[in-house]
Amino acid sequence: MRAWLLLRKDLRVLRRTPLLVVILLAYPLLVAGLVGLVAGYASSKPRVALVDEDNVPKIIVLGGHRFHVDRTIARVSHDVKLVRLSSDEAERELRTGKVVAVVTVPRGFVADLRAMVRSPQLILQTTHGGLSPRVTQQVQALVYSLNRELQTAYIESNLRYVQLILHGGDGSFLGRQFHILGLDGTERELRHLPPGERLDRIRQFVRDARLALAQTNGALRATANPIELVQAPEHGRTWALSAQVQAYALALTISFLTLVLAAGALAAERDENVIGRLARGLVGLGELVSAKIMLAAVVALGVGFAIALAFGVVIQVGGVTGGEPWSRLPLLAAGLALAGASLGALGTLLGALARESRTASLISLLVVLPIVFLGLVPREVVPAAGYLSDAFPFAHSVRFFGAALYDASPWDGVAREGAWLAGLAVVFATAARAGARRLLA
Amino acid sequence: MTGGQAVLAARGVARRFGAQVALAPTDLEVGEAETLALVGPNGAGKSTLLALLAGALEPTTGTIERRDGARVGWVPQRPAHYGRLTARENLELFARLEGEPRPAEAAERLLAAFELPPDERASGSLSVGNRQRLNLAIALLGDPQVLLLDEPTASLDPGQRRRLWERVDALRETGGAIVFATQNVEELERHADRVVALRDGQVVFDGTLSDYVREPLADLFA
Repeated sequence: MRAWLLLRKDLRVLRRTPLLVVILLAYPLLVAGLVGLVAGYASSKPRVALVDEDNVPKIIVLGGHRFHVDRTIARVSHDVKLVRLSSDEAERELRTGKVVAVVTVPRGFVADLRAMVRSPQLILQTTHGGLSPRVTQQVQALVYSLNRELQTAYIESNLRYVQLILHGGDGSFLGRQFHILGLDGTERELRHLPPGERLDRIRQFVRDARLALAQTNGALRATANPIELVQAPEHGRTWALSAQVQAYALALTISFLTLVLAAGALAAERDENVIGRLARGLVGLGELVSAKIMLAAVVALGVGFAIALAFGVVIQVGGVTGGEPWSRLPLLAAGLALAGASLGALGTLLGALARESRTASLISLLVVLPIVFLGLVPREVVPAAGYLSDAFPFAHSVRFFGAALYDASPWDGVAREGAWLAGLAVVFATAARAGARRLLA
Repeated sequence: MTGGQAVLAARGVARRFGAQVALAPTDLEVGEAETLALVGPNGAGKSTLLALLAGALEPTTGTIERRDGARVGWVPQRPAHYGRLTARENLELFARLEGEPRPAEAAERLLAAFELPPDERASGSLSVGNRQRLNLAIALLGDPQVLLLDEPTASLDPGQRRRLWERVDALRETGGAIVFATQNVEELERHADRVVALRDGQVVFDGTLSDYVREPLADLFA
C-alpha cells in the first residue's frame, strides 16, 4: 500500500518533468539509430584493390560474347568496392590497411580465359585479423558472380559447337578455322550411298546422335547450375520493420529508460532528504526499492506498448507481409512489465550504490551501454559475450519480446526468458535492498 | 530527565560511519512535556543523535525505546519534502503514510495553521521560511507526542522564528516533549528546561538549564 503511494508520487513527479521524459525517450531512440548506422557501416563495402598485371582489354570476346570488363565487374561486385591500383600501390595500401584485400589478375589470365582449356586464376591477398574471413567470402562471392557471367558465355560457345556438329558449317578453335559436314550433311551424303544393312546402322546412329544432341542445351545449363536460386516477386519486411529490430528497439528503449529512471528515483529520495523521514517507520527500505521497481515496470509497460503500437500501425498502413501480431500484444505486455521490473531492480541497485541522483544517472548510462552492446554480440560469434550477457536483463528481454511477437509456439521461449528476468529481478532487488542502507548514511 | 515518565529513550546508542565515530554510546531519556536542548559545536553528534531518536538512522549499537503508542515527529535541519510536489500534495502524501484517517483534511488544517501557500506552486520553489514551515508541518502529522527539531530556526528571520516557536510551544502545552538542537543562546534560554551538551560524539553535560549556564563550557557551546 505504502509502496503504491510512492509509485503514485513518482509518476506525478515524472509527469511534471516533461523535459526529462522527452530526453529519456529520445536518447535511446538516438542510440538505436546510431547503433543502426554503425551496423550499416560495419556491413558496408570493404575497399579491395584490383591489380591488373595482364593488361586486360576493355572488351573481351568470349564464345562470341562481348564483355565490357569494367561494366561487368561493376555489375557483379555487389559486396566490395574494387579500386584499380598498381602492384606496388596495392601492396602499400594493404600494409597500411587502406584496402582490406588485393585481387591480382596475373599475366596470361585473358589467354587462359579465351582458350577455355584450363581455369584462369585470380590471386587474393588479405590482411590478418577479424575482417579477413568476411573479405575472403566477399571476394569469393565476386568470383562466383563473374563465373556466372562467364559460364553463360562458355555455354553459348559450347552450344555453337554442338550446333555445328548438328547442322555443319564453318567454325574456329584455338584460332584454327575449319569446316565440318555436320549430322545434317552426313544424312544428305548417306542418301547417295547404296542401301544396305551397314548403311541403315549408320543412319540409325545419326538419328540417335541428333536426338541426343538436341538435349544438350538444357543439360549443359543444368550441369552448370545444379541448383538455381530464383528470387520470388513478393516482398518481405524491410529490415527496419523486422521482428528482430522490433524486439531490439523495445529492449533498448526500456533498458535505457528504466535503468536510469529507477537509479535516479531511488537516489533522489536521499537528494530530497526524504529518505530519513520515510525510513523512520513510514516506508521500509524494501518497500522503497519495490516502489522504484514498480515505477520501472509501469514506465516500461507504457512506453513499450506505445512503441509496439507505433510499429503495428506502420506495418498495417504499409501493408507489410505478415502484418503486426496484434493478438500477441498481451503476451508482449507481460514481457515489458517483467523486463521493466528486472531492469528497474538493477537500476535500484545502481541508485543505492551511487547514493546521489546525478551520479546514479551517470553510472546507469555507463552501465547500460556495455550491457546493450554485449546483448547485440551474436552468441555464436563470441560465446563469452553471450554468457556474460545472460547475467543482465537486456538479452533476455530481446529474446522474450522476439518469442512473444513472432515465434509460432512462443511458450517455451517466453517461459525460459521470463524465468530469467524474474530471477534476475529478485537477485538485483535483494542486493538493492541491502545496498539501500547506504542511502541513510 | 526533568519531566514525567520517559516517552523516548536511547540506551547505549552509538553510531559509526565507517571508521568515524559520530556518536559514542549514549544514554538519554526524554520525559513528557519536557523541552530538552542539544548543544555542542558543529560535528558534535547532535544531528546524529536526533536522527537516531527519530528512527531515521539505525544505531550501530544500542537501542531506541519508545513508550507504547508514542509517535515521534522529526524536523531535520534541511527541509525533507518532495520539491516537485506542492505543499498540499506533500502534506497529503505524508498524511497517508502516517496513517491519518482523513489525509486531505489533515493537509488542509496544517496548510492553514502554518500559513502555507495553498496554490499549485512546487514546494521546491517556495521561500526558505515556507519550506521550513512545511518541514515542521509534515513532522506534526500523526499528532506526535515527541517532536525532534534539528536547528529548526537556523535559516528563518525573527518573525518566522517567533511563529515557529509558537507552534512548538502549543504542542508542549498539550503534554508533548520537545528535543531541539540549537546554537542559539536566546532560544536555549527561552525554551529549554534541560540541556544536553555534546562534544566529539560524547555527552559532556546533562542537567537543567540553570546548572548549564553556570558551567564554564556553556561559553564554548552556545
